[in-house]
Amino acid sequence: MKVLLRLMPYIRAHIWAFSFGISGLLVARIFEAMIPMYIKMGIDSLTEGKAGFDFTSTVTQQALFYPAIAIVICVILQMLVTIVSRILVRRIGMYAAFDLRNRIYHHLQLQGPGFFQQYSIGDLMARAINDISLVRQVIAGSTRMTSVLIFTAVVGLGFMFSLSLQLTLAVLLPLPIISIVAYRYSKKIYDQSHLVQEGFSDLSTFVQENLNGIRTVQAMAQENEEVERFADVNQQFADRNLELFVTTSMLSALMPTLAAAATIIIIGYGATLVSAGDITLGTFVAFFSYLGLLLWPVREIGPLVTQWQRGASGTARLFEILDHKPEISNHPATDFPKLTGRVEVKDLSYRFENKDKFALKDINFTVEPGETIAILGRVGSGKSTLLRLFVRLLEPTNGQILLDNHPIDGFPLDKLRDQVCLVLQDPFLFADSLGDNIAYDNTDRESDEIWKSADAAALRDTIEDFPEGLKTILGERGVTLSGGQKQRTALARGLVRMSPLLILDDCFSAVDTQTEEHILSGLKRVRQNLTTMLVSHRVSTARHADRIIVLSEGEMVEMGSHTELLEKGGFYADLEKAQSNTSRLLEDLETSDE
Amino acid sequence: MSEAQLEPNKDNNEKSQNEPNNAKLDHSIFDADIHGQSANMVYLARIFSWLSPHKKLATVSVLLVVTASFIAVLLPVLISRVVVDNIIIGEADLLMPDFGLNTLMTWLATITGLDPIIAACILYGLLTLLCHSFYHLHRVTFAKAILHSLRDMRLDLFRHMEYRPSSFYDKVAVGRVMTRITNDVQALFELLMGLGMLVGEFVPFFIALFIMFAIDVKLTMYLLIAIPIFAFITYFFRMATRRVYRMIRNTVSQLNQNLQENLSGMQVVQLSNRERKNLSVYRVINQKNQKHEIEAIYLETGYGAFMDNMVNMALAVILWFGGGAVIQDAISLGSVILFTQFVDMFIRPIRVLGMQYNVLFRAMASAERIFQALDWHEQVREPVKPAKLPERIAGKLEFRHLSFGYEEQDVLHDVSFTINPGEKLAVVGPTGSGKSTLIRLLGRFYDFDNGTIFLDDNDLNSIPSSEVRKRIGVVLQDFHIFSGSILDNIMLGNPSITREKAIDAARLVNADKFIEALPKGYDTLLVERGQNLSQGERQLLAFARVLAADPEILILDEATASIDTETEQVIQQALKQIMQDRTSILIAHRLQTIAEADRVLVLKNGRVKELGTHEELMAHRGVYYTLNQLQFQDISINPAE
Ligand SMILES: Nc1ncnc2c1ncn2[C@@H]1O[C@H](COP(=O)(O)OP(=O)(O)OP(=O)(O)O)[C@@H](O)[C@H]1O
Ligand SMILES: Nc1ncnc2c1ncn2[C@@H]1O[C@H](COP(=O)(O)OP(=O)(O)OP(=O)(O)O)[C@@H](O)[C@H]1O
Ligand SMILES: [Mg+2]
Ligand SMILES: [Mg+2]
Repeated sequence: MKVLLRLMPYIRAHIWAFSFGISGLLVARIFEAMIPMYIKMGIDSLTEGKAGFDFTSTVTQQALFYPAIAIVICVILQMLVTIVSRILVRRIGMYAAFDLRNRIYHHLQLQGPGFFQQYSIGDLMARAINDISLVRQVIAGSTRMTSVLIFTAVVGLGFMFSLSLQLTLAVLLPLPIISIVAYRYSKKIYDQSHLVQEGFSDLSTFVQENLNGIRTVQAMAQENEEVERFADVNQQFADRNLELFVTTSMLSALMPTLAAAATIIIIGYGATLVSAGDITLGTFVAFFSYLGLLLWPVREIGPLVTQWQRGASGTARLFEILDHKPEISNHPATDFPKLTGRVEVKDLSYRFENKDKFALKDINFTVEPGETIAILGRVGSGKSTLLRLFVRLLEPTNGQILLDNHPIDGFPLDKLRDQVCLVLQDPFLFADSLGDNIAYDNTDRESDEIWKSADAAALRDTIEDFPEGLKTILGERGVTLSGGQKQRTALARGLVRMSPLLILDDCFSAVDTQTEEHILSGLKRVRQNLTTMLVSHRVSTARHADRIIVLSEGEMVEMGSHTELLEKGGFYADLEKAQSNTSRLLEDLETSDE
Repeated sequence: MSEAQLEPNKDNNEKSQNEPNNAKLDHSIFDADIHGQSANMVYLARIFSWLSPHKKLATVSVLLVVTASFIAVLLPVLISRVVVDNIIIGEADLLMPDFGLNTLMTWLATITGLDPIIAACILYGLLTLLCHSFYHLHRVTFAKAILHSLRDMRLDLFRHMEYRPSSFYDKVAVGRVMTRITNDVQALFELLMGLGMLVGEFVPFFIALFIMFAIDVKLTMYLLIAIPIFAFITYFFRMATRRVYRMIRNTVSQLNQNLQENLSGMQVVQLSNRERKNLSVYRVINQKNQKHEIEAIYLETGYGAFMDNMVNMALAVILWFGGGAVIQDAISLGSVILFTQFVDMFIRPIRVLGMQYNVLFRAMASAERIFQALDWHEQVREPVKPAKLPERIAGKLEFRHLSFGYEEQDVLHDVSFTINPGEKLAVVGPTGSGKSTLIRLLGRFYDFDNGTIFLDDNDLNSIPSSEVRKRIGVVLQDFHIFSGSILDNIMLGNPSITREKAIDAARLVNADKFIEALPKGYDTLLVERGQNLSQGERQLLAFARVLAADPEILILDEATASIDTETEQVIQQALKQIMQDRTSILIAHRLQTIAEADRVLVLKNGRVKELGTHEELMAHRGVYYTLNQLQFQDISINPAE
């Protein structure tokens, strides 16, 4: 429950509207309370009229007319006040939801890969959708309802006290039990709501992941098994909901049942008092009507507690995300020079959390401006990890990277990423037009620039083949493109930025050799005098580089030019042999053929 | 994208152009504007079809609430008629019905020999207990019936979506489908629970109505006029909110989709410094959503407060008309007083109905979306009379005059070739030439009309797609790694794969090395999309997964693209044995990957350019020859012209 205090700023921001709204609702209740008074007045005057007046007399008419009009006025006033105050309060809930959505969106943008490994997208979506709406309900609904109920109960109690102190105290006897039960249950409800909300997250996560991998599921003909797995998650969610529901329903039943004790006390004790002459019959009857004022809130305790607790658990889930400190700290330094592209890597090590092996160990090298460096290594040797350190998607465990002799963690993140461009190994495209995907960093780019980078990425022909050219809308994640087309689009997106340091993580794996040659020559053309680092598995790619770095199990085992490394006779030389072995074999076949 | 959409106050008219990027994907056929016009009754009826297996429970539940509501009516009667009128005042007003409570109390008092007041107390306690027990039982049974029917509905919906073909998911964003399965079904819960309570509310209504008619028909009729008025106002409200609710729904789904896509591509967003811009796009949608939500608040509050308060007008009506009738001696004053007491019972359901209406409308919008999803019937054609495949197929594949295009683009043109049983065919060709498309057709992911594919002389279209996919194992070019353990990812829920078999498959692709180096080995948990592995490691898993399923025909679509040569050579050694006598298709850009193939097919621009053995094609000096030259040429040839 304490977590709900974190929502206070949202109420405080509109404190006047909130106070007006709540007081308005109380005023509306006063208007409502006046209506029975006028009915009584009308009925009283009817009784008098019957006793003595002429039935058609205007006096009687007026005796009827005034109360009736008064009721109408009360109703209208009550309605207007209610409308205004409800709107005032409900709007605050909406404003809070609006703000929380933006806030969480922004906060998620600050998070690094570690965070996204911890929280799945389905879970985050469930929080952003469901939990925010629970919070909205608490701010706009529960506060309002609670104030009204408290007010009603207080008014009821006030009247009762004024009528009879003894009877009121007697009526209050069951109150401690009611509070204890409500408190006990509210804790249980909180825990169970949490489970329900987590169940919903599980459900979302499952659906979202399954649909993302639908092609794989279908290709393996595992639809049925997936449906069965879903049935489990679904069942669990239903079960948890039912559990929560049984608890809340039980509370809703217990509250009025316990409160009935109060009624019984009035009946029993009150009747005794009446016969003893301690209170009048009128007081006794009136007591019942005021008891109604007290019982209504008690009956609503159940649903209300549920609402509050669900809101509290939603709030806790939201703030769990909002309190998550970004892994990467940002230093908003003042001036940031245009980089020349000189890179120095010093004693760089990286170890993933919950792994004991280092993914990178003591890497040292320097790159001069304008150089092209190729990085080779087996699967899982740490190439991508190394590259991600350059754009601070990861923070080194040890050592540092210097750009133009400045350590990169001294740069503001956006400036750094502006000048150091990493094209990821797994090309991600947005469900947007091809052109907007290429010019993703800056939508104002001229189409000249886009075409230029498309040329360099050997994408021009492909784009021209599409009926809508650059305007072609892609499927989610670019599913409507071929593997190579996707990869080249992602490449073009990196090339278009002309950053002083371009890093390509295995960006030619899905293109054919001819296209690759095209791209490599394009790269040479557009990136003259700019530093480029690229990862590849192919010697045919690496040999274009000025220098080649070989990683093995996170360690740098070789560095040098193509010829140097061939002469040295290590991993690279073996690789060259292996890759050309086949070709030599093929060539042999070829010659033997001719 | 224009800058305009960054300005929140600029409400765009040219929708198609200015809609934020995420809205573009859904083609209109799949999200035809929901007007909320179609009869809600139809939706309700459809919702009830899921409820029908739980009919008994629901019926019991409704009976319970009716009983409970009846007892709830008795409680105040007990106090006013029995305690006050009978016991304390000692005179019973004959006009007021007491539902036999006085008799009951007297009977109780005589058989127990207790004071009447104590008997009344006991009666009150018992009735309360009974009433709330029944309410509780009602709620629990009803919730159970509804939760279970919604569970079934959600499962049906999921199953339905699970079987939609790729062509469908090319067009529809996952986020949209997802929120239908999760949030929209959830929204129905509230609706249906509300309806259950509503049934209970009508009990006092009818009791009150009955008594009121008994007392005075004319006055009751005056009050009943309220109903058409309310109906009219409700109709009006519905008209007014229809557009708003639609806008809310649209903006909400845009918000969700935008969020989802941004979360999926967060690294790209961050590396492109697009955070600020994307946030502002999101803000704009959020702003729009807020605008419509606030409109909805105005309308709902106005309507709700109207329904809520106007019912009190009934009191004025009673006083005015009833009072007039009293003056003319048409009815007794007592009747008027009674009326004012019963009117609350009469009014309550209308009030509750008014409150429920918002829920009802919003939930109807959800129902509409659910049914819309269920009515997306796009699917690959399944044979009416499926051909029966033998236990073990020979594995001959024949493509005959196959032409195919996605929506707007022709991809394959008159492709014809045959793969003999046990043959290994390599398919090479420039990117985008249609290699993966060929495989997708073979896996029956898309329907094709021009040309035929034969599997062992059976027309592929006469074999159910699931059967085809069980026989043909494809290592997809864009495979997906699920969260869960490494082992789960290899077995993929297939019960016929044992742990040993899965580990064997991992060994075959040389994935055992990295897996065993992990602290938890095969039970290591992977996160969404396998983000805690390297790309090559992920690919190895996807490869192992197919080998573990032991398909009769094996297809590798760029299965080793992200894998280093050393590992690849190990895999090739292992594959040699696996592919022996197994029809296989190998697609690769790196030619050493296909060195083992029997024949090579060169596909270019969707046409078969060359087909033959390596030697034949090298001699032919065509596309394949050039590719070879390029790949294995010496560094001395400078590619930069
Ligand atoms: N789902 C789709 N919807 C529309 N067009 C598509 C779809 N998938 C592929 N295409 C288009 O069809 C053509 C052939 O694509 P395909 O994936 O078959 O190429 P590919 O030969 O496998 O290329 P790569 O070597 O790059 O993987 C491409 O131009 C591509 O843009
Ligand atoms: N998020 C992560 N959490 C834990 N371990 C990780 C994570 N990402 C990568 N690893 C591990 O770190 C090692 C290096 O991974 P990295 O992605 O750098 O390899 P790589 O050289 O790029 O391989 P590939 O050629 O397959 O892309 C691998 O063993 C991988 O399993
Ligand atoms: Mg990598
Ligand atoms: Mg392909």
